[in-house]
Amino acid sequence: MSQAPDLVVVRDLRKYFPITAGILQRHVADVKAVDGIDFEIRAGETLGLVGESGSGKTTAGRVILRLADATGGSVTFDGRELIGLGRGELRPLRKEMQIIFQDPYASLNPRMTVGSIIREPLEIHNIAHGAAAEERVQELLRLVGLQPQHANRYPHEFSGGQRQRVGVARALAVGPKFIVADEPVSALDVSIQAQVINLLQDLQQQFGLTYLFIAHDLSVVRHISNRVAVMYVGKIVEIADRDRLYDNPLHPYTQALLSAIPIPDPDTVRRRKRIILSGDIPSPVNPPSGCRFHTRCPVAFARCSVEVPAFIEFEPGHRAACHWVEEHGGKAPDLSAAPAIVA
Amino acid sequence: MALLEVRNLKTTFKTEDGIVAAVNGLSFAVEPGSTLGIVGESGSGKSVTSLSIMRLLATNGRIESGEVLFKGEDLLLKSEAEMRKIRGRDIAMIFQDPMTSLNPVLTIGEQIAEATRLHLGLSNRDAMAKAVDMLRLVRIPAPEKRLKDYPHQFSGGMRQRVMIAMALSCDPAVLIADEPTTALDVTIQAQIIELMNEMQARLGSAIVLITHDLGVVAETCENVLVMYGGNMVEYGTARQIFDAPKMPYTMGLLESLPRLDQAGSRLVPIEGQPPNLLRMPPGCAFEPRCRYRMPICKEPVSLYDFGSGHLARCFLYDQRAEGQKTIPAENATLLPGTAVAPPQDARR
Repeated sequence: MSQAPDLVVVRDLRKYFPITAGILQRHVADVKAVDGIDFEIRAGETLGLVGESGSGKTTAGRVILRLADATGGSVTFDGRELIGLGRGELRPLRKEMQIIFQDPYASLNPRMTVGSIIREPLEIHNIAHGAAAEERVQELLRLVGLQPQHANRYPHEFSGGQRQRVGVARALAVGPKFIVADEPVSALDVSIQAQVINLLQDLQQQFGLTYLFIAHDLSVVRHISNRVAVMYVGKIVEIADRDRLYDNPLHPYTQALLSAIPIPDPDTVRRRKRIILSGDIPSPVNPPSGCRFHTRCPVAFARCSVEVPAFIEFEPGHRAACHWVEEHGGKAPDLSAAPAIVA
Repeated sequence: MALLEVRNLKTTFKTEDGIVAAVNGLSFAVEPGSTLGIVGESGSGKSVTSLSIMRLLATNGRIESGEVLFKGEDLLLKSEAEMRKIRGRDIAMIFQDPMTSLNPVLTIGEQIAEATRLHLGLSNRDAMAKAVDMLRLVRIPAPEKRLKDYPHQFSGGMRQRVMIAMALSCDPAVLIADEPTTALDVTIQAQIIELMNEMQARLGSAIVLITHDLGVVAETCENVLVMYGGNMVEYGTARQIFDAPKMPYTMGLLESLPRLDQAGSRLVPIEGQPPNLLRMPPGCAFEPRCRYRMPICKEPVSLYDFGSGHLARCFLYDQRAEGQKTIPAENATLLPGTAVAPPQDARR
């Protein structure tokens, strides 16, 4: 496959939320939600971003779109630096980058009809007004599998899956190139999930969209992504082509995460070996020293608690941040043999 | 005799828009030491089933008819005082959200000890000692110290373990777990599933696991009950359900899942939307979305028996549907008295 050019390039991106205390609101610490991440998203591809709650994946998506201000680092979109741009400078770029939110119940204004929800961005960005906007709304509704007459209804008249389709139509209205989909199917029932996933894939083909697909469901991410990045407590620990990541994960956290997914097949369940991690995900306020995974890692050694591992490319396009892998020449540790550490 | 048997349970809710039959004639049984998975989407009636068994329905809910037999005795005939002795002692429950189901102003030690003091008559000191044992059992580090902590000092996975410790502290014969891992991350979910399997092996309790996650079911359950629109649409062993599903809804559910072991292919969704319980179709609840639907499906549909305990509610297996069938399907034995139609009063 010839490599498409990078549409989004993220370098050393950081987002800290200050914690203040006392009547003077003294700055006492930071929640390091995103703490130095690097990756690229190629034009026309889907990059899956997975991680457990608190890993910083949602914050990463929001900072990339400039819905939250970065603490440091750089994000370029189509060659333009986004960090540091003022509101006015950002506005024309907002047409190019859109977001689909997780909760289709909370992300649609209950007092607006679906038609006006979809029309609003068209008018704000001066794309269409009046009858032309009306027509575009009808077209968008059809595009996402709804009926044109649905434009006059309110969000509460729709089921979860239909509301998410409205969210997709709103994002598409301005003709974006890049869409951040933040857990777009996790609030939906399984039978409806598949409808929305298929819709997102069809639209990507039709319009050549680029997706950053943020999710905690690793089966969904494998299905939809070309490449996958794994986050753990504010850092990306591994990134690779989808199949390489799922078939040959290098980082011990990726391995444990993949082995923890319940597989809906009683036969597979009995065959596979499971790596059960002990303990909980550490807090991003006071993350562990060195490698952030060392407190739960079955193969951690002295260096891991002292030195932050570098994000190294071990195979073409396959990067991971792990001292063990580095010291073993890019080999993945065999965790099924390692003794589990007791919390 | 089954340890817990539900017969023809019908639970309704009074709402502003009319009366909703959330569970409509459900029957099933659970044997000691086994795990039954109840799967279904939101609104299928799975949580209402568990709340009906425990008699913990909201005030607008009502058990219209049926029996809930625990060791042969009907729980629906018990007084509230008798129920209070059974809840937590004989039948315990784990809820989905461990934060809202723990009391925020009591230490978790007090909360675990409360159950054993009340139900087993333990002294304060013994109850606290038992609480330490239970916390150790669910692998909370430094249990003597954590006993004095409040729920907010625990992470989500730890709180769920505290809930399990509490639920198991009186060695209940039946444990009802309603989406016990849904709010948790996968690595934590794996810990909790392993813990529940271990606890069951140790105590021999029967578990009713309510979930929408077919992966969790495959990992934990011997038997599976699939619910749709307030009723059982399929029942069988996990093997039967996953390898040879009979009801098109079950087939659709399995096909619509992205599978780690079969990546890449296009997903096959179930078209349409989940049923509105206020406007249920007269026949099979799944008929409007079913790709194999036939004219006969608009009539009330019974359960069909495929032998060795595998049941499905679908006209595809009825000999009366010969000539209408859209796919080849064997004829199975109709179980008389199992046909259900939506109650007329559900429509206003």
